[in-house]
Amino acid sequence: MISLKGLSKRYGDRLVVDDLSLELKPGTVTGFLGPNGAGKSTTMRLVLGLDHPTSGTALIGGVPYHEIRNPLRTVGALLDARALHPGRSGYAHLVALARSNGIPRRRVTEVLETVGLAGAARKRAGTLSLGMSQRLGIAAALLGDPEVLMFDEPVNGLDPDGVRWVRGLMRSLAGEGRTVFVSSHLMSEMQLTADHLVAIGKGRLIMDAPLAEVIAGSSLTAVVVRTPHARELAVRLRAAGAEVTRSGENELVATGTPIERVGDLAHEAGIRLHELRTREASLEQAYQELTEQSVEYGAGRAGA
Amino acid sequence: MSTLWQAAGAEWAKLWSVRSTWWCLAAAAGLMVLAAVTLGGATATEALRGEGPAVPVVASEPVVSATSFAQFALVAAAMLAITAEYASGSIRVTLQAVPVRGVMLAAKALVVAPVMAAAGVLSGAVATAAVYLLLSLDAFRGLVVLPIGEVVPDLLGVGGFFAFVSVMTLGVGAAVRSAAGTLTVVFMLLLGLPLMMLMTGSQVALDASLRMPTFAGLAFMGSTDNMTGGPMPYSAGEGLAWLAAWTAAALAAGHAVLRRRDA
Repeated sequence: MISLKGLSKRYGDRLVVDDLSLELKPGTVTGFLGPNGAGKSTTMRLVLGLDHPTSGTALIGGVPYHEIRNPLRTVGALLDARALHPGRSGYAHLVALARSNGIPRRRVTEVLETVGLAGAARKRAGTLSLGMSQRLGIAAALLGDPEVLMFDEPVNGLDPDGVRWVRGLMRSLAGEGRTVFVSSHLMSEMQLTADHLVAIGKGRLIMDAPLAEVIAGSSLTAVVVRTPHARELAVRLRAAGAEVTRSGENELVATGTPIERVGDLAHEAGIRLHELRTREASLEQAYQELTEQSVEYGAGRAGA
Repeated sequence: MSTLWQAAGAEWAKLWSVRSTWWCLAAAAGLMVLAAVTLGGATATEALRGEGPAVPVVASEPVVSATSFAQFALVAAAMLAITAEYASGSIRVTLQAVPVRGVMLAAKALVVAPVMAAAGVLSGAVATAAVYLLLSLDAFRGLVVLPIGEVVPDLLGVGGFFAFVSVMTLGVGAAVRSAAGTLTVVFMLLLGLPLMMLMTGSQVALDASLRMPTFAGLAFMGSTDNMTGGPMPYSAGEGLAWLAAWTAAALAAGHAVLRRRDA
């Protein structure tokens, strides 16, 4: 649904988004990761036609954003929950948005109930807490019942209940076949929410893969074996090409080999196993590894 | 077309859902009455002292002159329709809903123009009544008349002038984005520059200053007594043309910036 081709954005002499190409598919939650200043928000603004790309294209369903008629019915986005007129009520804000895109007024009441803001909707937006503003922003994104949803850091300022609610909302929106694109710093949250991950560093794509693949690909995802014959098994595993460290008297941690292969090798050698399990890296760890490589890459380029 | 109509509906809803609009309109009405009563009283006093022509004051004439001052309250209202969105960042939400820049600006103009025109006609009518009542007092020996044939065109002129000035302000606001910058530019266009040019005493500067929006507006409204000391040296039609040209130039500048700059 969202398709970026060679998308670049330059501010002065700073290349904020650098030749980004991506396809975001319906029915999935795509997590958008990257450190501060990596270009995540800029990318979202480019998709929405708020900023003009220096080169490349961002298309939604094959057309640029500004060519979509009644765009709120196709794309709902929350970029900055604080971007509200402080003197206007949340209700009036949503009514104006609904009118601009020919959305019936009852939708305003519906989305306010969906986000649990029906009680505070008549208050002036300047008096809302950050968490309530986030809920209002999410209500605005849902207003046009769009196929594509984009959220920039949607859980900022939300309490634990709110965070859990947003997670459920993202999952259910994707479950209805919508394209959900959500940026976040919170890796643990992304691990629970996203199906697919896209990461950028210094504006460049450094990862575009399913969550499961990212976790499995981490060097920290390993096979843990407990056996009284640790030394002997370590020799055999190394001979089979695995990297092995001895983490205890009777315990080995092997990477670069599937768990089945470890079991088979032990069986062939007649080695008794007391424990055989996979230890999965957290997304945080996998991501850390990836960004460290990216930082080195960036520094290397700057030095060259 | 329906896209523009929907966008205008949204702008209408936005305009009336903030208190600043009401404050500005109330301030405009207050300024109109205050300035018109002061100017009307001064004209009548001069006439009574034998310093001016001893003809009765047309009650709406000082109201036309009062627009030179009262316009700034409406400038503030029109300005806020766009600069408040830049200040809060909500312009990005507006452009998500209405991504074509020209449609967004046209929608705002489509709402601001009739609202400010109506505000001009209504506050002008109140100010005209106030002038009439004041000059009907014995102290002024009733040196005032209320000829409907002149009052009605005057009031419509005030409405039209305010519509032009507020749409011009909108254009400047789209180009400049900040409230302080917009107010400075609009103030210079409406009063600062023409007064400075008048003070130079040069004929070229005088002719040029009389074509700037405030004086073009006075010509358009058929003002005969104002801060330049007399009627404009050109017709009401030409005044309208100059007003329209200034407004079009400001809108074009605003549109050009909207299209080229990132939101």
